[in-house]
Order: sequence, then structure tokens, then C-alpha cells
Amino acid sequence: MKYQHLYVVIEHEDGKPVPVSLEMLGEARRLMDGYNKRYSADEKVVAVVLGNNVRKLCEELIFYGADAVIYADSAELLHTRNLIDTKVISQIATNKELANEFSDVPRFVKPRYMFFSADNVGRQLSSTILAELESGLASDINKLVIEDLEIRHEHKTKGQAMKYERTLEMYRPDFSGFLWTTILCLDNRNPAIEREYHPQACSIIPGVFAPLERDALRRGKIVDFAPKFDERDLRVKIINRKIVKSAVDFDSKKAVVSFGRGIKDSPEENIKLVGELARLLEAEVGISLPISKKPFIVSDGASSTYMIPDRVVGTSGRKVAPLLYIAAGVSGAMQHIAGMKEAGFVVAINPDENSPIKHECDIFIRGRMEDVIPLLLEELRKKKPEIKVKK
Amino acid sequence: MSDLNIAVNVKLEPDFSEGNVSYNADGTLNRAETKSILGPHSAVASNAAFYSKVLYGARVAVTTMGPPIADIALQQAQLLSDADELHLYSDRMFAGADTLATAEVLKTGISKVDGKTDIVFSGHRASDGETGQTGPQTAWKLGFTFLGNVIDYYVDMQSRIVRAKRLISLQGFYDVVEEVEAPLPVFIAIDPSYKASFNTVSQRLAFEKYQKEAKGRAQNYKQYLKVFNAQQLGVDPKLVGLPGSPTIVYKVEKIPKAKASRKAEVVEGSSREQLAKVATKIFEVLGGLVIK
Repeated sequence: MKYQHLYVVIEHEDGKPVPVSLEMLGEARRLMDGYNKRYSADEKVVAVVLGNNVRKLCEELIFYGADAVIYADSAELLHTRNLIDTKVISQIATNKELANEFSDVPRFVKPRYMFFSADNVGRQLSSTILAELESGLASDINKLVIEDLEIRHEHKTKGQAMKYERTLEMYRPDFSGFLWTTILCLDNRNPAIEREYHPQACSIIPGVFAPLERDALRRGKIVDFAPKFDERDLRVKIINRKIVKSAVDFDSKKAVVSFGRGIKDSPEENIKLVGELARLLEAEVGISLPISKKPFIVSDGASSTYMIPDRVVGTSGRKVAPLLYIAAGVSGAMQHIAGMKEAGFVVAINPDENSPIKHECDIFIRGRMEDVIPLLLEELRKKKPEIKVKK
Repeated sequence: MSDLNIAVNVKLEPDFSEGNVSYNADGTLNRAETKSILGPHSAVASNAAFYSKVLYGARVAVTTMGPPIADIALQQAQLLSDADELHLYSDRMFAGADTLATAEVLKTGISKVDGKTDIVFSGHRASDGETGQTGPQTAWKLGFTFLGNVIDYYVDMQSRIVRAKRLISLQGFYDVVEEVEAPLPVFIAIDPSYKASFNTVSQRLAFEKYQKEAKGRAQNYKQYLKVFNAQQLGVDPKLVGLPGSPTIVYKVEKIPKAKASRKAEVVEGSSREQLAKVATKIFEVLGGLVIK
């Protein structure tokens, strides 16, 4: 087999794994457990780590499901940089000797599958690496299946039915949150354009898959890799790196008030109402994905404060878990739900009882937000003086 | 000849603004009824190019791959960037391309732009496809340094070095603003939060001059437009369109409705009495104690 194993590119900050890294490992483990039973016991879950003095992290990754960890340690790899990371990971992904360190099956050419995180770093890294490896990449995946498929495709198979074994079905929710597209990365078997495409790679939405329980008894192998780079690979210099607090702070607030396309009849007014409600409850304001595309004409202030990607709650934005979540004029597409389902108590304000949000809330207030919020504000104000917040 | 040559990769996308966008009853986009415009992230990339025009007198080319009607995206981008040259790469052969095959076309297109390109701008990602892959893949194929999530940049024209600020959100941790330096040429994917600011009087005068010029040019955009088919572009047919795409869309299905995870109590929004109870519940949930 030229193509073997599932490589998972790990992201971390000074040796602390970004949550999605462990989530990817968990899903990789589940998929490969099935694969190992069904096809071949020899293929592994391989974590790829770039960093400086983070061997401890490599050990942890084994406890979280990796069979092997390929570890490139260098001072130049302290912080992620697209150019050099792409070079090093591409070297790792095409290095036969490395693979032979943890596998008894020779003939390795490239990984069979490859996972990246669908965040700021992984999204870009996956793109450049797959451009370098010249194979296919699907982004923002939230479901994965390995299956033998019969494919009949004008270009891939020249219209013939052909069996593609061990194919990774990569499910991707579209921007509306209502459609699921399955992407496949397939070799061209059509003789006119014959070409092999491996690895089959994707970026995975943070917060979708569950990590495994840490198991310190799990064994695996750490393989060191000494990366090679020249001056040209180092031409991007990090001059300064500053941790900033996002202007939008979901984590320290007890409540989140989100709005969606239901603001449509009087957007400016409704955004104001949401703002008032949020202030009264000391809540952060969230939005649904369509709002970040600025579908309504409102004042510059409202637009630049609220209709911004930072506020998106859902798989394309942030996962939140406040004590209270108020969804005003949010229909409840799956991708939004995924971002708020962990909330303690959910109140929806919506005129349409058929909206999916109705099944995701504890109280459904039937009505348009412009009618409901002013009344609700009054009732809340009446109660507020009576309230002492428990410290 | 200009000292700085800029290209902008833009995309024609569905117009998601209310009144223009149309959704089917099941919540999916009704493409037939939805107009198309210059994508919002492409517009930000065009603004970033215009910044170089004002500050460094850069020459700007705007390029896109798409159907013949994608020329309206070029026109809209020209209005924002005062582009000197517009390129449309259009061929039925390009249809159905995934990001790798699209990047092949865009990369080849850069070689057709007048002068040696120093900076390519792209948007953060398309508002319909939302992969964010085409920019970095084009950069890699070009051999340009890729800088993503850029919120601010300037060019040191003497040393031919770009200094850029990048906003990186580390999920589960915090945001990082990183300042990086890289020699030209670079490929910059501009962050949606980017805003050009023109601070000096001479900058503002240049801004007005070029903005006025842009209006005139965009009215006559066809004078600046070059359309290339696959042959004129000189791409390898095996590397573009469906034949050049490693990935295919295997199936599209509706996402099954999740099982109801909560049981909602329905409250009439016009009833003060019921809303008063909701208010009490809200404060209870937030950990407040009703003391009266």
C-alpha cells in the first residue's frame, strides 16, 4: 500500500493543545478502530506536532488516542508560521523512513487520510499543504465515514461504474445550515486524465467531535524528526506577538442574547432593542451566521458593532455555554444550534412556531421581536430592583 | 511603470442582502432568484489594494475566474480600487473546479498581468463556498509568501518588505495580534475587519483623486477588461475544471432535523402576565434571588 495511516496535524499554544486537536484525535481513533477491524490492522493514527520543547504534549497525545506522534522540535517552530510549517509538514507527510519507525508495512508514499482543524491556523495550513501535496481538501467537516463506494463519474471514471475502496466521506454543512454536502477526494481513473490523489484531507470544525477520555495506560511511539529548512523558508519574521482580549467576550458573561434574520422588518430598531436587553441582563450579544454577511442596511455603528464574524454563534463562529441564552428572531439552523446547545436555559422569541429553534428552547415566546422585547424589557425592569445577584 | 504592482483576486457571489437574497421554503438558498454581486470579502480586498494605490501609487489589476457575467464583479472592484486592468478567466472548461483547480487558473492568470506582481490580495473567504482555501492555494502555487487574516499592512518601498498585522483567533484560548515581516512578493488574504485609514493631507488628496478616477474608469470598465479562455491563458486542461479537481461533490442532502433536545413551554408574546413570569424565570436562571 502506497497510502497508509491517518495523519492528524496538531495545533497547540506553547504545548497546550487547542481543544479541536484532541477532538480530531478522538474521531481519528474511532474511525481507525473501525478501519483496523475491517481492512487492515497495520494502519495507525499519527499525530504530527511542530514546536519547541513540547515533548510532554506528544506523550499526552498518545493518551488521547494517537498510535504514533511525529515530533519536529526546533526553535524556529516555536510559533506557527504558514510557510515553514507547510514545508515541514509536507516533508513529514512524504517521509518513508519516518513511517517505517511505527509501521511494519513498507512502501509508504503518503498518508491515506489527513486531518486539520478548521480554525484560523489549520484552515490556511491545510490549504497550502494540500497544494504542495497536490491532493484534495474539504473544509469545515462535521461528519466522517469510511466506506467502499461505487462511483460513476464523467471525469473520474469516464462514466464507468468503479469501486473506490476505503473512501473517506466528508460531510460539510453549507452556509445556510440546512444542506449537507458530501465531498470525496478520488483518484482520476479515467485514462485520459489518470492521476492519484492522496491524502484524502479535510479540516474539521472545532467543537463537533468528542475527545477520548485520557488514558495514561495507552501506549504509542514518539518519532523525532529533524526538520530541514533554508533561509528562504524562514523569510517570514514574527516581530511582535500580542495576546488581545476580543472585543466580544462570550466566556465571562452569564447570558448571551442573539439575533438573526428575524430583525428584518425594522433592523435598526430591533438591533437597538437587543442591545438594551443585553445591557439589562449584562449579556454579550451574539448573531446567527447570515447576519455576519450584513444582509440589512443599518447605521455604520450598528453594522460595525454587531454584524461582525466575531459575534457569530455556531459552527462557523463560537460555541457558547452561558447560563441563559436568548435567541431573538433566530430560526435555529443546525449550525447555529451546535453553537448554543450547551446553554443552561434557552428562551426563543419567534413568530413562527414551526421554526426549528422551538425544539431547542425551554421557553418559546410567540411573537415578533419588535413587539415582544419592549414588553419583556418592561417586565424585567420591574423585577430588577428586587433582585440581588448571588455572588 | 509603477514601483509596486498589485493584483486582487475577487469572486462573484450571491448577494445575501435582504431584498436580493431569496431562500427556499426549506431554508436553503434559491440561487435562481438571488442576484450576484462582488463578494463582500472581495470588496475588502479591493479596498486594501486601493490603499496601496493611494500610498504608493501602485498599479492595480483585478482578476476573477467565472462566467461571462462575472465582469460585473470586476467593475464593482474597479470602483473600489481604481484598477488599471481587469481580467476575466472564463471558459466552460473551468466549470465545476474545486479550490485546487481554481487556484491553478488564478495562478496562471497572475502571469498575464502587466508587470511583475508584488502583492496579491484576496478576500478572507467566499460567502457562498466559505472554504477560504483558494487564496492560500493560489499563493502556494505562485511561490508567494502567504499571509492570512491581515488587518493592517504597509510596504517599505526601499527594502521591498511588507509589514503586516494578523489577527489570529486561537479557539479555546485567546486572540493574538501578530506583527510579521516578509519580503515581496506576498499573497495577502485580508481579514474582514480591515479598514484603510488615510491620515495625512496628501494621502487624503490622493484618495480623492484616485476615487474620482475610479468612478470614471468603472463607468467605462470594458475598456480595461481582458477576457481569457483556457487556451489564451495557456493552462493545462488536465489541471483545471473538473478534470483538475481532486474532490467531487458526491451527494447533497438535507440535514436531518435533530431530535428535539428541549421541551419548550410556549408563551404568548402579547401577554404581560406571561412575560412577567418569563422575567422572573430569567433572573432565577441568572442566579438572582427574588427577595420580595
